[in-house]
Amino acid sequence: MERLTPRVRVVWLLLALVRAAIFGGVIVGAAFGLTRPAVWESAPAALVPAAAALAVALALLRILVAWRRYGVWRFELRDDDLYIERGVFTRVKTVVPYVRVQHVDSRRSPLERTTGLATVVVYTAGSRSSDVAIPGLTPTRAEDLQESLRQLAIETAGEDAV
Amino acid sequence: MTTLHPASVAVRSLSRSLNTGFLFFVVGIVASPGGNGTNLLSVVGLVAIGIVLGIVYEFAYYRRFRYELTDDTFDVTSGVLARRNRELPLGRVQNVDIRQNVLGRVLGIAAVHIETAGGGQTEVSLQYVDEAEARRLRRQLRDGASTDTADADETGTAVTESDAASADDETVLFDIRPHELAILSVFTIDPGASLLGGIALSFASGFDPVALFPANRLGGLPGPETGVIAIAWGLLLFVLAAWLISAVLTFTRYYGFRLTRVGDELYYERGLLQRYSGTIPLEKVQTLTITESIPFRWFGYAALSVETAGYAPGQSESRGSESAIPLADADRVAELARAIEPFGPVDLESPPRRARERYAVRYLLVVAAAVGVAFLLARYTGLIRQWYVLAALAVLAPIAAHLKWRNRGVRLDDRYILARTGFWRRTTKVVPYYRVQAVLHQATIFQRRRRLASVTADTASSASLLGRAATAHDVDTDRGLELQAVIEDRLQDRLRARQRQRSVGRWFRDGIDPTDEDSATESDGEE
Repeated sequence: MERLTPRVRVVWLLLALVRAAIFGGVIVGAAFGLTRPAVWESAPAALVPAAAALAVALALLRILVAWRRYGVWRFELRDDDLYIERGVFTRVKTVVPYVRVQHVDSRRSPLERTTGLATVVVYTAGSRSSDVAIPGLTPTRAEDLQESLRQLAIETAGEDAV
Repeated sequence: MTTLHPASVAVRSLSRSLNTGFLFFVVGIVASPGGNGTNLLSVVGLVAIGIVLGIVYEFAYYRRFRYELTDDTFDVTSGVLARRNRELPLGRVQNVDIRQNVLGRVLGIAAVHIETAGGGQTEVSLQYVDEAEARRLRRQLRDGASTDTADADETGTAVTESDAASADDETVLFDIRPHELAILSVFTIDPGASLLGGIALSFASGFDPVALFPANRLGGLPGPETGVIAIAWGLLLFVLAAWLISAVLTFTRYYGFRLTRVGDELYYERGLLQRYSGTIPLEKVQTLTITESIPFRWFGYAALSVETAGYAPGQSESRGSESAIPLADADRVAELARAIEPFGPVDLESPPRRARERYAVRYLLVVAAAVGVAFLLARYTGLIRQWYVLAALAVLAPIAAHLKWRNRGVRLDDRYILARTGFWRRTTKVVPYYRVQAVLHQATIFQRRRRLASVTADTASSASLLGRAATAHDVDTDRGLELQAVIEDRLQDRLRARQRQRSVGRWFRDGIDPTDEDSATESDGEE
C-alpha cells in the first residue's frame, strides 16, 4: 500500500485554514451585524464571543481532519484494479478495475505547484462518485502513475467500457 | 443526404413564434415609445417582427438541415448561424425514440431522438420527419448498431435478414391492462399536475382562498369562518384538483402502453394524445430496477424500469421518456424482468440485526430533536403548550426501524447483483457483473461503531447520478469487503467470458483463422 507524500498535509492544512477563515469571517461578521442596536436591540452580549468560539472550534476540527486525512489515505495498483482507501469520517474503499478506466488526468493547482505536488484523476464511465483523484504525489510519481494506469487500461481494454 | 419533412417548417415556426412572439411582446411593453403607457401599435409590430424572424429562422434551419445514414455512421449537418457537422458511430447508439404530438399525428410527422452514452443532452434530434421515415430510421439505426464493425456488404445482408426477422419475430412482452392503467392513474402523483392544479384553482378563486369556502352550507360549524377552516378547505380543493389533473395526465401518458421484443431489442409505445415510442437495445441494458411503492405493493403491483447508459427513466421530459413498465402485477413484472436479464430467485440476505438497532437509535434521535424543538417553542413562544405529546412518536421508532431493516437486502447471483432498499418506495436493482464500473465500500463514523458498511456497485447508467446506484446497505464490514472482492472477481470473469464469446462469434462470421489472435481482437472494438 502506497502512502501519499507527507507534504500534502501542508496543502490540506492551508486549504483548511483558508476555508475556516472564510466561514469564520462570515459567521462572526453576521454576529456583529446582528448586535448593532438598529438591527436587534436586545441582542445577548454573548453572541459575538459565541460566534467566534464556534468559528475557532470549527477551524480546529478542520485542521484535525486535514491532518488525520493523511493518515487514512492509501492506494495501491493491484493486478486487475486500482485500490484506494480514504475518508476520515466516512471511510471509503474504492476498487476501480483497469478495464473501466476511461481516461487519466494529472492536475496541479497553484497551491500544489508551490509545494511541488500533483494530483492524478482517474475517470470511469460510472456516476461521479466513482471518479477518483489521488492527491499529494510528487510530479514524477504522478507522471509514472498516469503512464502505468494508461498502460494497464490499454492492456485490459477490448470492450466498450460502458 | 436527406432533408427534414417540409411541414416541419410550419410546426417548428408555430412553436418558435409562441416563444419569440412572447419575447418581443415583453420587449415591446418595456421599450414602448412615448413613456406614458404602452403603445399598442408598436407592441403588435414588434410581436409581428418576432414571429416573422422566427419563421425565417425556421425556414433557414430547414434548408440547412441534412442527415444521412451511412453504413457505419449517422451524419447530421445543421445550423443556421453556427454550423455543425456531427457523425454518430452506429455502434454507439443507445436509444432511438420517436415522439409525436397531436399536431404531428394530424400532419403525419414525428420527431426522432437518438441517444448515445455520455453528453448531457440528446445527441441528435430530427424535428420533424415523415412517420414512415422515422420508422425506417429506427429500424436501420438498430440494425447498424447491432452489426457494428462488420464489413459494409455484410451489413447489407444483415439488414435484409433482420428486416425479414422483425416482421414475424415481434413478441409482445407486455400490454397494459385496463385495471392496471386505472390503478396507476388513480395513485400516481404527478408533480407537474399539482402545480397546474394550484394555478387553475388560484384563477378560479380569484386568488382568495376564502372565495372557495361554502359559507352558507357549513354555517353550523364552530370556529372562525375565514380562518383555519377556509385554508384547510382550500387545501383540500387543491389536493383534489391536483389529484384529478394528475390522474388524467397519467392516463393519457400511459394509455396503450405496449412493450414488444424484436430480435435483441425492446420496443415500447405509449400515449393517447402524444405518442411516444422507442427502442432499448438489450445488449446496452445497464440496470433493471423493480419498484414497489407503498400503495401499489399492498395490491400486489410493481413497476419496472430499464436503464441504459443513454438515459434513464424519470429524467426530464425533454430527454428521453420512460423505457419502463409503469405498473403491472408483481408476477408479470418479475417474469418480464427475467426475460430481459435471467436472474435467479430473489432471496436476499438481510443486514445484521445490529443494523436495525442503528435505525431505531437514529429514529429515536430524530424524535428527541423534534421534542427538543417543540420544548423550545413552548418555552419561548406561545405557539404550542403540550410539547411532551410529541414524545409519543418514540413508539413508532422501533416499528419504522424494523420495516426499514426488513426491506433491505443483497444477493450475489451467479451473474447478477441484486440489491434492495426502501420501505415506502422499495426498489430492487438487478445489475449484471459485467456492467459494474467501480465498487465502493463505505462506512460512516456511525456505521463503524457497529462494524457495518455499505457496498455500492457503480454502473454507467445515468440514474445513479442521483445517488441511486445499486447499494447493499449496512452489511457487516467483513462481509462488505467480501462482497466487494466477489463483485470485482466476477466482473473480470464475466468480461473475459464475454470477450471469448464475441471473438468466437466473430471467427465464425468473418472466417478468420482462430489462431490469428491479433486480427480478431483488433476488430473487436465495440459491443
